[in-house]
Amino acid sequence: MKANKKDRFITLIDEHKKIIYKIVNSYCPNRADRKDLEQEIIIQLWRAFDKYDPDYKYSTWMYLIALNTAISFYRKEKKWYAKTDFLSDDSIFGLADEDHEDGVELNQNIKLLQDFIHNLKELDKALMLLYLEEKNYEEIGEILGITKTNVGTKIGRIKLKLKKEFKK
Amino acid sequence: METNELKELFAAYDAKLDRALQLNESSLKKIKLDRIHKQTRWISVLRSIEVVSFSILAVILGSFIADNWAVAHLAVSGVILHVFTLIALAGSIGQLVLLQQIDYAKPIVEIRKKIELVNSHALLFLKLVFLSAPIWWAYPVVALNYFFNIDIYPHIDPDFVVKYVAVNALLVFPLLWFLSKLTYKNLHIKWVRKTIGFFTGTKTKKSLEFLNEIEEFEK
Repeated sequence: MKANKKDRFITLIDEHKKIIYKIVNSYCPNRADRKDLEQEIIIQLWRAFDKYDPDYKYSTWMYLIALNTAISFYRKEKKWYAKTDFLSDDSIFGLADEDHEDGVELNQNIKLLQDFIHNLKELDKALMLLYLEEKNYEEIGEILGITKTNVGTKIGRIKLKLKKEFKK
Repeated sequence: METNELKELFAAYDAKLDRALQLNESSLKKIKLDRIHKQTRWISVLRSIEVVSFSILAVILGSFIADNWAVAHLAVSGVILHVFTLIALAGSIGQLVLLQQIDYAKPIVEIRKKIELVNSHALLFLKLVFLSAPIWWAYPVVALNYFFNIDIYPHIDPDFVVKYVAVNALLVFPLLWFLSKLTYKNLHIKWVRKTIGFFTGTKTKKSLEFLNEIEEFEK
């Protein structure tokens, strides 16, 4: 029975791995921290797995837990993570080598995008990620815990910031 | 760059991840999923110790007050310390309740507030220490009587007692004003920031700064 639960969990992680990967890369500029954060997110998802609320879509539930964990991780003393013994040395994600013609250019643009996200405050970062994921304002508000109107206002402010940033 | 361009870029990134991102299943299986979150558990243990300690103290002080009800200065000193103990006890119980409510499947702003309120608990003790400044005399009066059965009050010059009470009464309002300023909402004031940082340390100050940031975010 337990193995079955673990299998379902692994399938779920596999189906939504992009969410975890993108959040980890947005919150951790440091490669060593990324591995720790992805594992911490997996642990928190596993702890919440039994209590999954079917009112949420799996992706929304995953965003809630992963973003909450990422912000906690970001704000926590890193020493605690260094001391824990349950973190494996390997990353749970791998990127296959790509030989696409546009690969290099895309990477440079992605770096630009990641730099912009890295420089936002933690809550704005969460908001921006959800916005770029094409989530609607209502869902963004639900995940963040703010009103739909507030989501619109904040996105407007970030857009202005974005314009200024890239005019420099 | 416009947000539309940013969205296009993000979509391209997403498509690239669709093609290239792989889950390392063996590595995922190696993670010990059932290990308890040590830090949260540790904070809960600390707060539980606080609750037990303050409860014991409240019982002891209650019995001290009952035993010395007829001796005004001992009863008043006991009541003052009892009130402070009950405030501290309520604060620690509140912390345990907050810790129980921390659930990462709840909206981010709500959870962050709870976590930062737990992290900034030291501010309550700082306020209690300052607030009890005018009645610090109550501590030795109660402690000496309880542990050594010594009543120091009759040995104190009555004139000194009157002056002490008068000066401390004058201190109450400035002190209340001072304490009302010590909140995360006033972190923009330099002396508030410095006082909190000096007495409670960086961790509490950072939590209060983040509470401020959350409030700004909610506007």
